[in-house]
Amino acid sequence: MSLDDDLASWAADVRLRDAEAAAIFERIVSTPVPEAAPRLDPTWWRGFNAGFTARMIASTRPARRVAA
Amino acid sequence: MSREAEFGRLYEAQRGAVHAYLFGRTADRQLAADLMQEVFLRVWRHLDAVIGMSSDRQRAWIFTVARNLSVDAHRQVLAEVGVAQALVREPARLPRPASTAVLAAERVAIVGEAIRRLPEQQRVTLSMATVGGMTSPEIAAALGIPAGTVRYRLSLARRALADALASYDDPKEER
Repeated sequence: MSLDDDLASWAADVRLRDAEAAAIFERIVSTPVPEAAPRLDPTWWRGFNAGFTARMIASTRPARRVAA
Repeated sequence: MSREAEFGRLYEAQRGAVHAYLFGRTADRQLAADLMQEVFLRVWRHLDAVIGMSSDRQRAWIFTVARNLSVDAHRQVLAEVGVAQALVREPARLPRPASTAVLAAERVAIVGEAIRRLPEQQRVTLSMATVGGMTSPEIAAALGIPAGTVRYRLSLARRALADALASYDDPKEER
C-alpha cells in the first residue's frame, strides 16, 4: 500500500457521509428564521442628515454676525 | 428560487470543504460535524445577506465563521479537560499485524494518528486536500494564503506521514 492509498482510506473514514450531511441540512432548514428587526427607510436618514445640517448652519449664522 | 433551495445550493457547494477545514482544526470528526452545523445555521439565519455576496465573499464569510467557531470550541476544550490533556498524546504501540487486511487497517490507523500529531496548519491543509478533495488553489483561496504555501505545507505533512509509516514498517528505524 502506498501513502496515497493510506490517505485515501483515512479520508474515507473521516469524510462526512451523505446521510449525515442530509440530516444536518434537515435540522438547519427546520430552524425558524428570526424575523428581521424593523429598520428605517434609507431615505429617512438622508432627510434627517440634510435637515440636521441645515439647522446647524442656520443656528451658527447669527453667532457669526454677533461676533463680527 | 426558494430560500431552502438557495441554502441547499450553498450547503452542497461548501459543506465538504467546511467539514474538512473544521476536522483539520479540531482533529475530531464529530466535533467538526457539530461545528459545521453551527456554521451553516448562521448561514441559514443570514441567508439574505450571504446570497447577495459574490462567491468569493460568500466563501470568505463562511470560513471566517468556521474559524471563529473552531477557536471558541478549542478554548472550551482546553477549559474542560485542561491544557495538559489537550496536548498530543503518544501514539499507542500496536501489535504486529497478522494478515493483509489487518496490515492495511493498521497502516491507516498509523496515518490517522500521525495526522492528529501534525502541526495544525499542516493538518488543516492536508485535511482540506484529502478529505475535502480540494486543489491547492482552492485551499489557498479559502484560507487566504498563497498556493505555494499550501503546497509546501502539504509536502511537509506527507513527509511526516511517510516517516511515521517508515517507523512502523521498521520499528528499529527512528526518524
